[in-house]
Amino acid sequence: MNVSRLSRAARSVVLTVLYLFLLAPIIIVLVESFDNATYLRFPPEGFTLDAYRQVFANEAFREGFQVSGVTAAATALLAVLTGVPAALALTRLRFRGRSAVEAAFLSPLLVPHIVLGLALLLILAPIPLTDTYWGLILAHLGVTVPYVVRTVSASLVSADPRAEEAARTLGAGGFTTFWRITLPAIRPGLFSGGVIAFLLSFDETVISLFVSGQNTVPLPVAVLQYVEYRSDPSVASLSVLLVLLSVVVVVLVERGLGLRRTLRSG
Amino acid sequence: MADAPARTPSAPAAPAGDTPSPEGSAAHLVLDGLVKTYPGKDGAAVRGVDLAVERGRMLAVLGPSGCGKSTTLRMIAGLVEPTAGRVRVGGRDITDAPVHRRDMGVVFQSYALFPHLDVARNVAFGLEMRKTPKADLKRKVAEALELVRLGHLAGRRIAQLSGGQQQRVALARALVVEPAVLLLDEPLSNLDAQLRAAMRDEICRIQRETGVTTVFVTHDQQEALSMADRVAVMNHGRIEQTGSPEDIYERPARSFVARFVGRANLLPGTAEGQDGDHTLVALDGLGRVPAAGEPVARGGTATVMLRPHRIALSPAAGGTGAVRGTVLSAGYAGETVAYRVRVGDDGPLLDVERPTGTQEPFGPGAEVELTWDHAAPRLVSDEDGDSEGSR
Amino acid sequence: MTADSPDPAHARTPPDPPASAGTPESPGPAATPGSGGAPHPSAAGPAPAATRRRSPGRVAFALLLPGLLALLLTYALPLVWVLRMSLNEAEDGGVIRQTLSVATFTHVLGSSHYWNVIGQTLELGVLVTLCTLVVSYPVALFLARTTSRWRSLLVALAVAPLLISSVARTFGWMAILGTQGVVNKTLDGLGLTDTPLHLANNLTGVVIASTEIYMPFAILAMISGFGRLDPALEHAAAALGAPRRTVFRRIVLPLTLPGVLTAALLVFVLSLSGYVTPRLIGGGRVFVLATEIYDEAITALNWPVAAVLSVLLLAVFGVVISLYLWAQKALEARFTGPGEARS
Repeated sequence: MNVSRLSRAARSVVLTVLYLFLLAPIIIVLVESFDNATYLRFPPEGFTLDAYRQVFANEAFREGFQVSGVTAAATALLAVLTGVPAALALTRLRFRGRSAVEAAFLSPLLVPHIVLGLALLLILAPIPLTDTYWGLILAHLGVTVPYVVRTVSASLVSADPRAEEAARTLGAGGFTTFWRITLPAIRPGLFSGGVIAFLLSFDETVISLFVSGQNTVPLPVAVLQYVEYRSDPSVASLSVLLVLLSVVVVVLVERGLGLRRTLRSG
Repeated sequence: MADAPARTPSAPAAPAGDTPSPEGSAAHLVLDGLVKTYPGKDGAAVRGVDLAVERGRMLAVLGPSGCGKSTTLRMIAGLVEPTAGRVRVGGRDITDAPVHRRDMGVVFQSYALFPHLDVARNVAFGLEMRKTPKADLKRKVAEALELVRLGHLAGRRIAQLSGGQQQRVALARALVVEPAVLLLDEPLSNLDAQLRAAMRDEICRIQRETGVTTVFVTHDQQEALSMADRVAVMNHGRIEQTGSPEDIYERPARSFVARFVGRANLLPGTAEGQDGDHTLVALDGLGRVPAAGEPVARGGTATVMLRPHRIALSPAAGGTGAVRGTVLSAGYAGETVAYRVRVGDDGPLLDVERPTGTQEPFGPGAEVELTWDHAAPRLVSDEDGDSEGSR
Repeated sequence: MTADSPDPAHARTPPDPPASAGTPESPGPAATPGSGGAPHPSAAGPAPAATRRRSPGRVAFALLLPGLLALLLTYALPLVWVLRMSLNEAEDGGVIRQTLSVATFTHVLGSSHYWNVIGQTLELGVLVTLCTLVVSYPVALFLARTTSRWRSLLVALAVAPLLISSVARTFGWMAILGTQGVVNKTLDGLGLTDTPLHLANNLTGVVIASTEIYMPFAILAMISGFGRLDPALEHAAAALGAPRRTVFRRIVLPLTLPGVLTAALLVFVLSLSGYVTPRLIGGGRVFVLATEIYDEAITALNWPVAAVLSVLLLAVFGVVISLYLWAQKALEARFTGPGEARS
């Protein structure tokens, strides 16, 4: 009995230490974000919201937020517009080479971003689309489409294809069937695919490093450049704000969908 | 078009003024040599199906799973494109018409209701596609729901309905558009036994009230025989036999039909000549038995079908000429007792089914006499008659 | 209502019956209900399958087109460009000479500097993978087995760091590992060290930070790979008299190995191409393929060399993934027997 209690205690200690290790940088970032020094120090010596004020005062951050927001929204929209028809074809139609096409749509996940970044630089620089919104959006599209295809395919597989057939027998053409039957059925997958695409694009650092320049600098790149040369708590504050933002987005989407789902079944 | 004079689901029209032709009237739905082959699979799923359904009648397509019956139904609906053959409705060839222009009411096995719409909006869907005016739409939806006795559940979500209620919604949704043909794919297979019996009557009532030409597909012979005006038995992508339920059961043409629809003793023998309408067949251990059905030429091989319940048993007496046997086993099943009887000493084994309560049951080892009425033995053609279909 | 009128449907659509009645051919072969008469199908219907409606292939192509175009433009074509660029040569001042030669390859592979970079990349990858597996396995095992009501919270906590960009987390590690960081301040305050430990601006720091950054991925991959782990098996083994350590070695470890393998692949591949952490924590002193590719492309403007390094990185990826597939197959064979695994 004693041995097992001892080993259970040891296990708890090990797990606690590992969790602390895993969460250490987040805890530090949170603590630092309330420090009042102009440089990074530990332990913090006072509580202030100065660092948060600095974030909003920082031109690079403000512009980066706008660039990332616009880029992410456009990327998510394009990824959904191109990914949903592809998912539809991959799950609902039989055609030759289907599995090859499916593999092609997932393959960007296998290529390291550092290589994709260089590749996109090489192809966008001569046009020239580097350092523009369009360049960033195109650069982010390839790595977000696979996620949309995957999530939407998953919800298409779980949606009943017979309901679509029923709609067609009742007189609905292809587009009407999609709009009125298929789309409502896959809305959760569509939303989560879109949100994933948005967050991925918003957070994308390495590819953006290659295709952005002086004029169109997305937030992660701005942060990276800031961190490289200065270390003050404003980056910590910014990180906390971004986490809050993404949590809010995720919760809102989850809530919205969950609400609709309970309405549907309850 | 103005659909003012059209029948409304809840109030079926009175008999029409034009001369009703109960039998032999023009077929409403005609399938002509339908074939479906799938690439990469040898053998066709459907190998030349011809069928005709008269207006207002109900046809059951009965067969084991994988026999091609559902594929046939889906070809009628336009959900599967036939490799060859034509589909005609009311004389119009619709083979090339897209699904949504076919005017078919389809009830799917899984019902395929739209989960995000409530009951009324599910039913209204087909009318909306037809751009039915609002007022008409409301009235027709209400009438269709009345027809299936679900008027009180119009606002419900699909997930809140029981299986039987979902089935009714699916029916109402298919019928409200007044389709040319109603197609039902295994309509009762998702219901439990009790509900199934009730829904069987319901579907028959609704079909009678609306008078819609109906084809339904099932693997359940009880369902097919009890509901349909005509039954088409299907096997291996072909129609084995089409006829009234009585035809199919009492006068099966093929041994497959005899075995698939009800239980049957199938006895191989040799034709020895004609006796009026009957062919005399020499059967091992049973002597010369006159059997009705498609005559077989003298000397040809013939298979005789004998339904277990058509055979009577009595205690063995001294009479000559009677067929005698020994009971090998007796299985009590409530309303009936199922016997296995060995004819003679080394004759064929026969299944015999007797109602309980009419006579003292026989135990294993009992010596019995077997008798049947003149009409009971039927000639059936054998499986290899299959190739006949391709001629 | 006299429901059984002989043919109520005739009244239904008045204009229709004459049309259908006027089709004398409609009593087709099967329409004559001869009792017991088998139908005589006129086998192959008269109409050959001509082009009807829209062919599914064409519809599929139309639906796939936007997505395929997006992939082509933003992924396939750029990669081809990299391959093409790797066969060019760089001249002084960022001028690129268009040729088709392996000169840049031989230049890179003949230089000890680049071999050092490749070596350090692999070293970092191996170290990070090992460390990550060691710290993630207990957590994943616990999460897979626990029935605690806190389970979902603990799982959420384990993957929560994924919500925070790796830049921010790396920043956190800079604050922990730096000379003025948490660790050194603490050790100094306790009087344990005189001179600060060198935990940043070197490989050690990069390994520590990368380990934490890839931990959530490893835990997720392990949990989903531990599907076969059934506590009943452990109970059974224990009931059969196996001591705890034996149960772990003979039951738990073999069953969790596939999940560990997947996690190892994921972490190794991610760390091979990781850029942010080596750059920030490495402080310009840790050279790996990713940082080198960036420097060559952006700072030195030597695109051919950057392209060659990218091709080399992709080659390493290919080798690693093949090794993984081979190991996976070997593991699978051990579970299901060689015969089944092959089929």
